[in-house]
Parts: sequence; structure tokens; C-alpha cells
Amino acid sequence: MAVLKVLQKDELGKLLETLSNEFRIIAPVVRKYGKKERVEYHQVEDFSEIHLNRQPDTPPKKYFLPQNERLGEERSGEEVTETGDRKTLIFGVRSCDLSAIDILKPVFLDDDFTDTYFQNRLENTLMFGLGCSERQENCFCDSLGINPLGDENVPVYMHDDGERIWFEVKAKELEKFFTEFPDGDPKELEEKKNSWLEEFKKSAIEIGVPIPLPELVSFNAPFWKEVAANCLGCGVCTYYCPTCFCFGFFWEKREEEIDKWRTWDSCMFPLFTKHGSGHNPRETQDQRTRQRIMHKFSYHPSNFEGVPACSACGRCISQCPVNIDLRVILKTAEKYLDNQEGVKSSG
Amino acid sequence: MENKYLEISKKIQEESRKLLSEGKVERIIGFGRGEFTKEITPIFVSDPDRADELLFTPECDMMLAKYLLDYKGSKTGIVAKPCDTRAITVYLAEELIKREEVFIIGINDCEGLDDNDACEECGIRNPVVVDLEIGQPRKEEIDPEIKDELEEMTREERFEYFQKEFSRCIRCYACREACFVCTCDECFADSNQPQWVGASIGKRDNFTFHLMRAMHMAGRCINCGACEQACPEGINMRALTKHLYRVAKDVYQFEPGLDPEEKTLFATYKLNDSEQGFLD
Repeated sequence: MAVLKVLQKDELGKLLETLSNEFRIIAPVVRKYGKKERVEYHQVEDFSEIHLNRQPDTPPKKYFLPQNERLGEERSGEEVTETGDRKTLIFGVRSCDLSAIDILKPVFLDDDFTDTYFQNRLENTLMFGLGCSERQENCFCDSLGINPLGDENVPVYMHDDGERIWFEVKAKELEKFFTEFPDGDPKELEEKKNSWLEEFKKSAIEIGVPIPLPELVSFNAPFWKEVAANCLGCGVCTYYCPTCFCFGFFWEKREEEIDKWRTWDSCMFPLFTKHGSGHNPRETQDQRTRQRIMHKFSYHPSNFEGVPACSACGRCISQCPVNIDLRVILKTAEKYLDNQEGVKSSG
Repeated sequence: MENKYLEISKKIQEESRKLLSEGKVERIIGFGRGEFTKEITPIFVSDPDRADELLFTPECDMMLAKYLLDYKGSKTGIVAKPCDTRAITVYLAEELIKREEVFIIGINDCEGLDDNDACEECGIRNPVVVDLEIGQPRKEEIDPEIKDELEEMTREERFEYFQKEFSRCIRCYACREACFVCTCDECFADSNQPQWVGASIGKRDNFTFHLMRAMHMAGRCINCGACEQACPEGINMRALTKHLYRVAKDVYQFEPGLDPEEKTLFATYKLNDSEQGFLD
């Protein structure tokens, strides 16, 4: 049974102060760049900076899969993995981003090949979840069966009711950080949760497309040209995606040693598939857009127990320079597949 | 929507419907609204019955001209702000598109767009090339100042400023893809034989990418601000390109995208050209 605590917002600093003795704290903070005001995850020292009011513009993916990562020196023998002295605590991670990490797990922790860099970070990181008390800009997690208040798999789950932060402390070993704070009334929280979920229902959209998307019929569908017609071909959707994990390697000479690096790559770039011969199997942008959607909604769920590689956070929609909408693409696919005989029944 | 923009939108719809049903163009490239986001998004209309989806508001900050390159060899109509017509003019001057393959529905008296700082520095408020004008042209000419912050900086300060700005770059290439000038079949950043710039997001590679991209902009950039509008990280990369724009204008009396017959800045050399370079 979880311990339930309620903190006034100005008490957060006190809690984080004590947590920071044991953990490196990562949390959403506001950053202003020119005319842009963004909420991003950063390591925080000044806890008054923490901003929980809305979904961060960037996912916390980089703390598990950094955009640039030195894998060590290229030589035979053991791979080098890093361990910090303090564990990392990522504070205020919403359901979409928690689900996204769960989506990455089976990819990187495969029995045949375990990615030790990812595994290492996962083992040294814990996350405090944060429920969404209202729908965020373009998200639709509930349409993909994700609970916006889903508190599974995290040691502590938080709820922000506007005035106070509720903490469901599920891990025994973390209870010591909360002893000085007052208990919350579980019934009161339950009522709040129900009313938040009711609000979510009102703005819900139905995504009725079969998942996994049937591979051949979807691949050969004519609508890809239409949905990708205005795509610029940049990598924003993939780089802001909490579940896109594709990367490339490169090697760099440093005096006598050669460093091996990996860096994020994007299926939206032509170079992603360009062969040494010059031939490119995905020559046009609609083919690349098809790959992004098919990977997320066909290949990934086919390989990993029906789970799509999308947690419906909506960042690809919010950040797209030309406002391409994943929901519209899924709806277009749904409409097309509805008219294809035998698709619905065979799944 | 304000009355003025409602009227513009209606006129665009009306004319587009006519053009499409008379078969004068195969499609119209214009602006529409997203089903769920309600945000502006570029749309391609070829069915006259869908002409009502076209609209124009001060939110229409995307540059549409680049899409013309996807439809070479057929007749395409395009809803064009004055800056779009300048981009089209550059394409015509560089012979990237044929005049007879585009039908330009030009917006007169552009008041500038929401949230695009570049509009405050723009003196071209009527279309440069046009087949059909929407609204009345603006009569009085303006020549706003280009706020060139590099002017005030020493070389060291510039270096430090850009190191800081570009450190946030995630190399998504949204700036490049949104820029109508970036039309290379293969960008130097995508070349791996030879590799001009590394794939990493380190300071060195980010700096190299932005500087090399900017050097392709001199005399071609029209200071439309599409790069900054597209950048998800809010990087002030226009500080570089508007400097190039200002130098081309002040030192070489050259403003790109005003005359389809004009030779590009780098294709001309005059004996009395200034010795001043673009980075001085």
C-alpha cells in the first residue's frame, strides 16, 4: 500500500533538497531563447525553477539515449560504461514519457543483445511520475490505451491539483524523504482523479486504425503521397519523439586512439538509407514518412507484443514546422483500410 | 478572423475554384487549417470542390515557393505573399522553375505575419511577380532598417555569441528544409564522401554547419525569416543571414528576388565592386 503525502508547492524545494543528497535531480524548467519560451528537462540546482504546469517541449529520452554518446575507444576487449556517483532522479515525468521509456526497454534490453549503455542508465535512474490533470497541447495518449494518470512502474507518482502536489510513495526505501510532510486523504485524491479523467473523456478522439497496421496493404496504400505532400523532410518529429531510437555510429581520431561515438539519426533524412553505391531505396519524402509511421504502428507492434512505438505525446505535431498532424495520418489510414476488404477481420 | 483576411480568403477560394475548374492549373498550393490542431498548414488543392479549404491569415508564416520544385513540368497555382513572390523570382532568375509553369495568386499590401521578426525589416509589401492580385497594392514605399546586431560586435564577441546560440542546435535541419534558398540536390551536410561536417551535435560541427550554410546564402537570402520560424530550438540564426543580406544591399546594392531577369550576385563581377567581404 502506497503512502500518500500532500505538499504545498512551496514545500517542494525542501523535499528536493533532501533528495538531492542522494540523487542528481533532473526536472522540467523554463528556458527563454529569443522569443521562444520552452519547458525542458535540465539538471536542477535551484528547485524554485521547476515548472510542472505543462508537458515539457522535450522528452527525457536523452537521459537514457543521449543524442551524442561516446561509446569508448575502439579496441578489442570490454566496452566502457559510465557510472556516476549519484543516481539520477527525473522529476515529474508524465504518462506519455513513462510509457515511451517502457517502449524503448525491449528494444535495448533484448536477450540476444543488451545495450549496456542504455541498461546502465536505466539501472541508475529513477523517475517520479506526474499525472496530467488536463490534456496537453496535442496529446492523445488515452486514444492509444495509455492512462494519463497511469502510475505503474514508478516508485513515486505525483498529482498536481493546482495548489498542492500529491505524492503516492510506493517504494518503501523512499518513504524516509517524506516523513515530515502531512498525509493526504486517499478519498479526496480519488475524487480528483475521477474528475480529471472525466475531463479527458470529453476531449478524447477515437483512433480506430488496426494496430499493428497490416503490413502489405498499408505499405502499398496510395495515401502516403497525400499525407506527406507538405513534409519538409527535416528531423524535428523524430528528434522530439520520446520513442524514436534510431542511431548511427561514427569514429573520430583523437591523437593515437580512435573514439567510437553514436549519435541519433532520423529516418526522415535521405542519408539514413543511402547506399555506398549511391542508390537510395527510400528516395522520396513520402517513402520516408511511410517508414516512420509504419515502424511505429506496424513493424514495432508486430515485433513487440502489439505495442505501438508511439506514446501519443503529440510533440511531433506541436513541433512540426508545417504542422503535420499524426492524428490526421492515422485517420487517413483508418479510412483507407476500412474500405479494404478483409483488413479489419484479419487485423 | 479579421474582416480583411476573411475577404482575402474568400477571394482566394473563388479564384482558385475558377482556375481549377477551368483547368488552368493542376493544383493550388496554399494555406489551410489542421483538422485537430486548428493551426495553419500548407495544403495542395486539385479538386475545385475543395477550394474552400484555402485561406489566408497573418499566421501563414510558411514559405510555399519551395513546393513548386516538387511539381516541375506541370502548371501549378500558388498563393503567394510578397516574400513568396521574391522566392519565386530567385527561382526564375536561377532558372529552377519556368515562368509558364506557375500561376501566382499574389497577396497585395502585406502587413507582416504574427511572430515573425523578419517582417519588421521587410520593405517589399506587394508581390514582385504576379498573375492575379488579391486586394489593393500598397502605395507608399517603405525602407525599414535591418537590425544587424553583428555590426556592433567584435570578431571575438561574434564567435562567442554564435558558439552559444548554435550549442542548442540538434541538427534536425528544419532551417535548411524550410529555407527556399536551400535547393541543392545533395547538401554538404549530407555528403559523406568527402565528409565536410561531422554528424555529431558538438560545438565544432554545429558551428561548421551553420556557417557553411550561411555562406551559401549571400546574395540569395531574402531575409524572410523562414529558418527561424521553423527552428524548434529558437536559435537566432538570422543574425548571420540578415547580416549577409544587409551587406549585399548596402555594399553591392543588390537585393535578391526583385527582378527575374537579374543575374545573381555571385554571377556578376564589376570592376568597381567593393573590396569589403561579407564577414567584415
